[in-house]
Amino acid sequence: MPRHEPYRNHVELLQGTLDMLILRTLQWGPQHGHGISLAIRANSGELLKVETGSLYPALHRLERQGWLASDWKVSEKNQRAKYYRLTAAGKKQLLAEESITGVMKGAS
Amino acid sequence: MSLWNTFKQWRRRDADIDEEIGAHLSMVEQDRVERGESPVEAKLAAQRDFGNPLLVKEATREMWGWAWGLAWVERSFQDLRYAFRQMRRSPGFTLVAVLTLALGLGATTAMFSIVNGVLLTPLKFPEPGRLYEAQTIVAPRFKANGPWPVNARHFHEWRAHGQSWEQIALIDGLDATLTGTGEPQPIVGLAVSHNFLKTLGIQPALGRDFRPEEEFGNSNVVILSDSLWQGRFASAPSIVGQNIFLDGVPNLVVGIMPELRLPNMRNPMILRPLGFDVSQARAYGQYSFDSIVRLRPGVQPQAAISEMSALIADLVRQFKIESKPGMAPLLDQATAGVRPALWLLLGTVGAVLLIVCVNVGNLMLLRTGGRLREAGVRMALGASRQRVFGLALTEAVALVAIGGVLGLFLADAGIRAFAASAPVSLPRLDEVRIDWRVLLFASAAMALSTLICGYIPAWRLSKTAPLDALKAGSANATELGRRLRLREAIVGLEVALSTLLLVVGGLLMVSFVRVIEADKGIDVARVVSQDFALTNSKYTRPQRARFIGDALPLLANLPGVEAASVTNQAPLRGQNSTCGLRDPDHLPDPAHPDAASNFAGLANYQFVAPDFWKTMGIPIVSGSALEERDRDRRVAVVNERVARTLWPDQSPIGRHVMTCGSFGKSATLEVVGVVGDARATAEQEPPLTIYQPYWDTGMSEGSFVLRTKADPSTVTGALHKVLRSLDSDLPIAPAQTMMEVLDESVAPRRFEMYMAVAFAAAALVLASFGIYGVVSFTVARRTPEIGIRLALGAEPRQLVAMVLRQGLLPVVGGIMAGLIGALAIGQLLASQLFGVSPRDPFTISIVTMLLLVVAVGACLIPARRAIRIDPVRALRFE
Repeated sequence: MPRHEPYRNHVELLQGTLDMLILRTLQWGPQHGHGISLAIRANSGELLKVETGSLYPALHRLERQGWLASDWKVSEKNQRAKYYRLTAAGKKQLLAEESITGVMKGAS
Repeated sequence: MSLWNTFKQWRRRDADIDEEIGAHLSMVEQDRVERGESPVEAKLAAQRDFGNPLLVKEATREMWGWAWGLAWVERSFQDLRYAFRQMRRSPGFTLVAVLTLALGLGATTAMFSIVNGVLLTPLKFPEPGRLYEAQTIVAPRFKANGPWPVNARHFHEWRAHGQSWEQIALIDGLDATLTGTGEPQPIVGLAVSHNFLKTLGIQPALGRDFRPEEEFGNSNVVILSDSLWQGRFASAPSIVGQNIFLDGVPNLVVGIMPELRLPNMRNPMILRPLGFDVSQARAYGQYSFDSIVRLRPGVQPQAAISEMSALIADLVRQFKIESKPGMAPLLDQATAGVRPALWLLLGTVGAVLLIVCVNVGNLMLLRTGGRLREAGVRMALGASRQRVFGLALTEAVALVAIGGVLGLFLADAGIRAFAASAPVSLPRLDEVRIDWRVLLFASAAMALSTLICGYIPAWRLSKTAPLDALKAGSANATELGRRLRLREAIVGLEVALSTLLLVVGGLLMVSFVRVIEADKGIDVARVVSQDFALTNSKYTRPQRARFIGDALPLLANLPGVEAASVTNQAPLRGQNSTCGLRDPDHLPDPAHPDAASNFAGLANYQFVAPDFWKTMGIPIVSGSALEERDRDRRVAVVNERVARTLWPDQSPIGRHVMTCGSFGKSATLEVVGVVGDARATAEQEPPLTIYQPYWDTGMSEGSFVLRTKADPSTVTGALHKVLRSLDSDLPIAPAQTMMEVLDESVAPRRFEMYMAVAFAAAALVLASFGIYGVVSFTVARRTPEIGIRLALGAEPRQLVAMVLRQGLLPVVGGIMAGLIGALAIGQLLASQLFGVSPRDPFTISIVTMLLLVVAVGACLIPARRAIRIDPVRALRFE
């Protein structure tokens, strides 16, 4: 009798990786959710398409942790949207992660 | 942050997320339109790209943690609404489930209310934890029913010098008749040391407490209880300071006290001082007073007992006392007798509740079969496993909640009915009500029931792989097989519990029959007993003897009466006066005749008239009975047990025993006859008994006993007339036949038996439904196979046997498990049984056979359905 595979609900990226991508994207300035997902897609050469089901929970989690802050603004297309920006703590986190990545890149 | 503010914040954030998602969607839509798609296409494509917005929203909301746990509340409400819809869709199942749950939870809650009120609720005195009862622990040969009361002289030492207690009080019973204005009213009261109310921590509501100097004789003062004051004296405050008449003697009312609920003695209507000087009391023997103690805060009972021993050490040495002081919490003393029975019944009804829950769970499991597809769809749409689990569990919550609330009403009604009809007299019955502890218990029972009912079906549903479930048509064979095994296991559990309960009920039933049938030593069939009380002050001692002497021949000559006699101790209602038994001619320690080592045991002293044994049907074994001509001699008749104990191989006739009292003050009695052993209570072995003629004692209270030719109840009227003719003022209690007395004395045991058997029957019925359900399911499942077998020529008999074999397998397993359980708890049960061992093979065999018969019956019905299957239709059955 074949063993049943436990049914899985989401494909989950390593949370850490997604957080990093978001923080990196926002170092260039505040952006809304849709913009962030487009930016990540562009910066990975169309390889990474972030699911909204992962993106928005990540954004809200980061905001709750205090690494991001949000405001409601009107976009260029006259659309009211929620813009996220890095906080000071978020910037510090970004620098810390980058240095580790840099060391690892250097070592490999 | 107030709850309302939290709620408002949550609603705002919820709306925010909605808007954020909406903005994302419209931005994607706009992008697509700019790239050249039509608005309609763009919209559809954007939605497809986005994924499930509800899921995203939920996942996002979850990031905000428990402060936003109101989402969980919203989810629960959703689930509840769904659960109610499901319940409405299958009314049959819902009705059965809710009703059985209500009955199970109601019965359990009611039983716990009784346990709570009788055993757990503290006494209603200030700091009741410090109240204890002082006792005397005696040498085994004197042991009657447990510890003895205390000696007044010992009490004096304890009160005068004890440091471990704030107060220690002495109590004696008091029976008197209120005379004077109005009907003579017999009242029960207590004769107490002056600090009795202080020990309890109670103040008189009106007037004052007793003073120390009033404790000795000659001060005729009384304190009335609130109920007596209201009932007899119309709550007139002026009664304080006036005299009332007890047995014709004036007594000054000095105070009114609130109603006292003492757990281990009658609630007194009146208090009098002791009436003697305890410092002058005899220091040995005479353990006839109750005593309550209020320990100092922080003092342990063990320390108090040590102090009690130390304070009487001199007396112990001087009088060679063999007993020791003891102490027990006041509450425990009253309830010790009923405690095992109550816990037993609570355990029994708990087992029934377990079976009810398991049954409901079984029914729910049956329904999960039809709901696998729905669960699969939910999970495919993104519901997490926990969500589906929660949804299924909520159904169980709803069922149990409704059943539980209904059950509470049933429990309340049940308790009221029980208190009103009082089939048994439980101590502290007035404390039984639904209070916070009962509600807490009911909630816990409901929570546990929810888990038992709902866990397995919910777990089964959440384990579904959506793809398998969505496949069109029936569930696959392995799924069905797994569920069947689960249900068979459940049936096994039900049968095991039923077996256990049936064994307990059966043993109690056998015990009850044994108690009734046990040879009491007296003839219960044609004897009637009439209590009387000659407490009025107009009766001096010789006048009482004359009254009895006048009454007896009149009673003996009544039509329908064979013999009449009198006794100071109502038959089968316990022992009145017990004293040490010794043979004055053969004292082991003649230098100290009152030393405990001289006593062979504790004897019941009964004062009777000559025809007593003829009346009671007790055989005269040797010698002769008491006769009128023995009036000028000091004689006694002993029972066989005394003869065996004191003079094992010799004739007792002509030997001597002594009257009650110290050696110097008691008389020697010549033994003139030996009679058969008779029980003093229905369940206990006959005590050592010494019979003296009634004219040897004062006998202010006693019972006339009459032996009738026909039905004993027919002579009651004539009996009362005779007594009235001798004294028109005499308060006359109702007469009782010995059958009625026996009935009353076994009433608690009978009640316990009825309850246990009722619960066991309920369990059996439920289990049989469970068996029936599983076997039906099996037959339905194996219909194609049965069809094939029938087509191939199998005999119906073989098919029935096949179904029976499979159906009875879990039953047999359950029976064995139940019997093992019954043997294991056998020891716990032993205190409730009489004349039967907890491992009685007869009972066990009967129970096993009963279960097998019922189980076979439950299997046969679907089995017969099986053999009527049309093979052609069966083969087409999908």
